[in-house]
Formats: sequence, structure tokens, C-alpha cells
Amino acid sequence: MTPNGAIAFGLLVIAAAVVARDVMSLAVILAILLTFALASRRSILPALLWSAGIVLPLAAFMALVWVGIVGRAPHEIAAGAEGSRAAAVAYAALVCLRLFAIAFAIQALFLHFAGWTPLAFVRALTAPPIAKKLLVLTLSLIETILHAIDRARTALIAGGIITRRFSWRNLRHGWLLVQTVWLTVVVIAIGRTRDKWPIEGTLARLDGTLHAAAPRLAIADLAWGAAGLACLIAAIGLR
Amino acid sequence: MRDFIAGANFSGRSAALMTRLRERLSFFVGPYAEGALSGLSSTVADEIAIYRAAQPAHAEFSALDFAAFAARKPPTLSGGEQVLLALHCFSRSDYNAIGIDTALEQLDPGNRDKALAYLSGGDFYAALIDNRLDARPGWSTQACTGQAAFACNLAAATGALKPCAAPAITIGNLSFAYPGGAAIFRNTSITLSPGAWRLTGSNGAGKTTLFKLLAGVLAPASGTITLDGAPYAPWREGNRIFALAAQNPDHQWCGATLREDMSRRRAALARHSQIAVPDEAALAALAALLGVPSLDQHLYELPLVARKRLSWLWPLSGALPWIMLDEPTIGQDRAMRAALGRTIDRLAALGHGVVFITHDDEFAGTVAHRTVRLAGQAMMVD
Amino acid sequence: MFTTPRLVAIALCAALNFAVGNVVYLVKLPIYLDSIGTILCALLLFPDRMAAICCAFIAGFIGVILSGLVINPFLPWFTFSVLAIVLVSALLTANATDTFRAQPLQPLPFFGKVVIYGIITGIVSAIISAPVVVYLFGGVTGSGSAFVVAFFLKTGERLLEATLYAGLTTEPVDKTLQVLVAALLYRATPREFIAMLRPAQPAT
Repeated sequence: MTPNGAIAFGLLVIAAAVVARDVMSLAVILAILLTFALASRRSILPALLWSAGIVLPLAAFMALVWVGIVGRAPHEIAAGAEGSRAAAVAYAALVCLRLFAIAFAIQALFLHFAGWTPLAFVRALTAPPIAKKLLVLTLSLIETILHAIDRARTALIAGGIITRRFSWRNLRHGWLLVQTVWLTVVVIAIGRTRDKWPIEGTLARLDGTLHAAAPRLAIADLAWGAAGLACLIAAIGLR
Repeated sequence: MRDFIAGANFSGRSAALMTRLRERLSFFVGPYAEGALSGLSSTVADEIAIYRAAQPAHAEFSALDFAAFAARKPPTLSGGEQVLLALHCFSRSDYNAIGIDTALEQLDPGNRDKALAYLSGGDFYAALIDNRLDARPGWSTQACTGQAAFACNLAAATGALKPCAAPAITIGNLSFAYPGGAAIFRNTSITLSPGAWRLTGSNGAGKTTLFKLLAGVLAPASGTITLDGAPYAPWREGNRIFALAAQNPDHQWCGATLREDMSRRRAALARHSQIAVPDEAALAALAALLGVPSLDQHLYELPLVARKRLSWLWPLSGALPWIMLDEPTIGQDRAMRAALGRTIDRLAALGHGVVFITHDDEFAGTVAHRTVRLAGQAMMVD
Repeated sequence: MFTTPRLVAIALCAALNFAVGNVVYLVKLPIYLDSIGTILCALLLFPDRMAAICCAFIAGFIGVILSGLVINPFLPWFTFSVLAIVLVSALLTANATDTFRAQPLQPLPFFGKVVIYGIITGIVSAIISAPVVVYLFGGVTGSGSAFVVAFFLKTGERLLEATLYAGLTTEPVDKTLQVLVAALLYRATPREFIAMLRPAQPAT
């Protein structure tokens, strides 16, 4: 499967999940997603757990608010009806299933490209060169920033400016960690932009590396794309 | 053709190097943090892929097994590993010229010699600035004699220091592992009495981890730390004994100007009743001796070498009994390195404890010190 | 428009948006600040407002996409909120750049402008986000604002109104904090970097 096909499939399925109005359509969408994830031939358990982990706190809040406090569903409120907790449960369940489908769709996409390097993935995308360059640059800077956060945090804790655990001092001074990291990375970026990149022509070299010679779409893409489209049509049709 | 550009700090060496490199399309390894990295990759494999040419123009330089590192993120490599990666990328590219601005100083002597042999023997142009080296056979030397700036007088900076009775740090039965990772320390003990200590160990052996434990950034799974016998838990009460000079000085500023950084640090130290916090005038005078006369100086607009020197401010202030210097000599010229060695001796003689990490064996040889070696999940005194 | 330094600024701000979530987690604060980079990008590119809008939006968009992939899959749905924040930042907040960089800091103008622009940003963001929160989350996003929504629902407000009112109570506070941090970062940014972001001068 190519990155282009995977993204197209993902967008179609997520659109279907957003448009779906009933549990049946979402169940079908989830079934297709499960099949897609299994087709990656990797363990899908971490992906399922991660998606559930993202949705569970939201589900808890939703149960508390809709079932516990409000006691009726939004369409019942809009109609001015007395409503019932059962309707509230059904509504909360629908929203949670939709959120789970969206979260799991993204995790399933990752499963298919787990062995790929970021550069290889971006290279295979069909996108304007400037967008690809930006994406690669951002991904690289994220690593630099995360490393700087670790080191700056160590230095600021050693200096007593922030603390290891929650404290009022962190509320007042937490922003200093952001400032130190920002300035550290800006200085690195200035050095590269002013010296290394012009001398080496590194960005032109990157453009050469990102120019894809890979196929834009594969048979698998078309098959999964059709499945995604079917989900979307079904979700619209069943409304 | 090979050019070795010699001179003191701020004599114009970097500008001379740039002039030479701009005459041709060159590979460049800069002196600043991550100066060896392209800034366009998020894995080591991608970094190599960006520079790889279909027909590499040179013999391969492979001091490390980069296949094993393929998925690592380049910023998490040590400085030396980043430089070796850069040299590997150059060797697999089609650049015909390379310029290195003090970056080889991050290599240990063995790897530095391999790198120099590679640079000396290739059929490409090489230009090098390195504070640890003298003129080399086969290289033409250009001496730079520009105006010195940011003059730093370490002898005067430490001249007024008073004797200090630093506590002995005793670490007992320390165990620590990162979540989901292998144990870094397992039931290991050591006593650090005041004086100079060199902390050694291969990458991943736990040098950064040990420092984080001592500074209170991490809490050990088990074990105790005592200061002259009294219990000390920096992960609960905060660090009150170590003054740190980080490897990248930019990581430790807590303000955009020197004034902001200084006032925040003084306020933070004032929370500990045992610490006599130096007043602002004394610290400003010390900063001037380290090369930064104005408190309103924007820290990040200083040159790298000046920022590194300013990062010695709190270690040399005498406010805290123990000092940690992480690669203090990088980028510093011969005169400054000698002065730094004498400074560490002086601090130790006054009763402070100084722990330093360095790849520069020659520098370490000029300082009277004991060695703490980290290996096999243990710490031992050599 | 997209010179190399500007691409770097976009990438830096997008990466900052992504990474601040990490910082917030490490200092154990119960808030989530995801638009500091977006606002900062608009400030950095000022006075070229067109560039500020384009670059800040791209930075914000990349930030929510990457955060959506790795941290929170529901962030990309707030792309229109990103656009709203960009427009307020580039057209209004950026007018205060001189105040933000004034040495020494003038507390009243500085914090006054931060609060005013923060509140405006928060109000606009709440209005644009409300429909997304209603449809995607049923009004409940798992933060303290959920109870505010519950309160308004209990008093008989319809879901969209309840979500909007809840947003109007929490977003201005959140966005004011973010404008504050962005202004402080802008203030501290080295002059050399800001100068690099000026439009490329045509060769004469």
C-alpha cells in the first residue's frame, strides 16, 4: 500500500464515521477498519488499546454529563421533550463509537507504515515539493525540541527554577522552560540557515531526495479506496 | 589541499573558514549544538539517505555501526556520535570539500585520530579549526590574529573565592532504571569527597542519569544519598549543592537577558537557608570578568564561546559547594583550557567538589583528579 | 513569500505547537496550550500581514495534523479555529509587537494588550469551535468546561448554545495565557532571527 492510498482510505473512512448517524453504520466502519488493521500483518492490540485509552476519559465525562446530570439526549432538549436517560446513553454511545473509529483509523494507518522512515514516507507522498520540505523540516525540529526540553528541564530543575512534580512554582515559572527551549532551537536554526545550508546546498539536496520515483497508487490502494468509498456512501445513505 | 586555521578565540578563524568553503560546494560541520546535523532528518537512516550520492566520491568512513543506530533520532546522539555520523555522511556523498569548525573536539582521542587520518588521506579539500591541535604535516597552516573580544580572566574570577567545606556525597545502594528500559544502576555505592573528579563512561553508561539523580530531576528506585552523613533527597527538596554548567549552555538560561537569568536564580537559591546567595553586584562583576560586562546583554545574541564562558558564572561564584562541568573545554582555545584546568585545581584546593566530564584526555591530564567510572550498572573509583 | 528563513519559522512554530503539550505534561499542569506557536508565528512575520496569515496558518495546520496523528486524533477538526486564531493574531494582536518588545518592559501596556487580545482570540475561537465540539464530542471535551456545559443544558439551553456559553467562559482564559506566552517568546527572540524573516529584497 502506498502512503497516498493509505491517506485517501483514511480520509474516506473518517468522513464516513463523521457522517454516520447510527450505531449500525459505525459498526460496519469499525469492521472495515479492523480488517484494514489486520491486513498490515502486525499486532493490532496496541492500536486498539491506544484508541480506547484516548476515548475512555471522554466517555466517562460524557456519561457523567449526559446520563448523570442532564438525563436526556440533545434532540430531546431541542424538542422540549421530557426525554429519558436511555436516549442519553444511546447518544453518548454513538459519539464515543465515532471518536473511537477516528482514533483507530489513524492508528491502523500507522500499522501499515511502521517500518518506514519519515523521509521514505514523505518521499512517496504526492504533494507540492515545498509542503514535503516543510513536513520533513518540522519532523526534524520536533526531535530537536524534544531533546532540548529534556536537557533544559534538567538544568532548570537543578537551578531550582521549576520542580519535578506539580507545584505553584511550576505554574509561575513553567513558561520559562518553553522560552529556554524556544530560544535554544532558534539559535540552532539561525546557525543552520545562515551557515550550513547555504554552504552545502542542503535544501537542494533534500529536494533531490524527496523527488519520488515510486508508484503513486498501487492495486491495494484502489481496493481499500473502494472499501472506504463504500463506507462513506453507506453512511450517507443510512442517515 | 588541506588548510589548518589556527588562532585564539575570536581571532577570525570561523570567518576565514567560511571564506574558503564558499569557494566551492562544501560539507560543513559547525561548532554549535547539532552543528553536525542537517536538521532535515528525524532518524539516523534518513540523515544518511539525504547525503548519499549514487556514486560516493570517497572511501567510506565508518567509525560506528550506523546500521544499529538507524532508527535513533539524531539529536539524541552524543556530540561525538553526531560528528562521526556527519563524517560518515560526507564519505558517502559527492562533496569534494569539507570544513570542520572545532567539532572534532567532541571526539575522544581514538576517534579523533581516525577522523584526522581520514581527512588527511582523502582526495578532497579539507579545512579545519581545532583548539586541541597544532599545525599538522600535510596541512598548510593559516594563523589568524584578529582582535580578541569578550576577554575572560579566570584567575581574577576565582581570586576572591573563600574556602569552602563541601560535604562528602555518599551514594548508597543506588538502583535506577528508566520505565520500560534496562537498569542503569543496580545496587551501587560510592563516596565522593571534596576535590576534583572526572566522570567517565561510554555513552549510555549513565553519566547524564547520575547527574539527574544528584540534581533531583529523577528519583532513584532505591538507595540513599547523604551529605557528610545527613540524608539528602534532592528529588523531594530540590538541589542545593550542585552548580551546573551544561554541555550546551543554552539549555540552562532561565531568561532572555543576563539580568533576568541572574535575578531568577538568586531568588531560587534564596529559598535554601543554608546557601549564602551572592549579591547582584558581585555576580555582575564576575560576569564582566567572564567576558560579559552588561547585565542587559541578550544571552542568545552572544557568540557561542562567550555563552559557554558565561555558563561558568554560578559554578565560579562560590555559592554552592559542588560544581558539575559538562564538557567545559569545547570551543575554548589553548590559553582558556589551561586557565580552566588551573581553575578546577583552585576550586578543589579551596574545598569545593568539582565533577567534570570531558573527552579531552590531555585536558584531564593537566588537572589533579580522581576518576569515577560508570560501567556495568555500577560506579567505581579508578 | 516563502523564503528559507520563513519556512524555518513555520516549521519551528509548528514543532513548538506539537511539543508544548510535552512541556505541559512534564511540569504537571492541568492545561493544554496548543496554539502558542501559531500566535508567535503571526507576531514574528509582522508587519508583512499576508505572510503572517499564510505562514501562521500553515504552522498551525501542520501542528494540528501532527498532533492529531500522534497525541490527540481530534485536534485536526479544529482547523477552522486555527484559521480564526491566525486572523485575530495577524490582524489585531500583531499590532502590539512594538509594545511586546519594548525595553524595559512596560507592565500596563504589555499585560493590558495581552489580556485584550487574548480575550478577543478566546471569544472568536469559542464561536468557531462550538459547532465542532457539538457534533464531534456531543459538547463534552473531557475538560472542566464539560460541567459548564452540563449547567447550561440543565437550565434548558440547547446543545449548541450550551457549548458556546461554556466555550465563552473557558476559551478567553486559555487563549489569554497563550497570547501571554507567545508575547514573552516574541519579546525574547533574537533580533537576527526576526530580521531574517523580512521579505526577500529584490536584487537592485
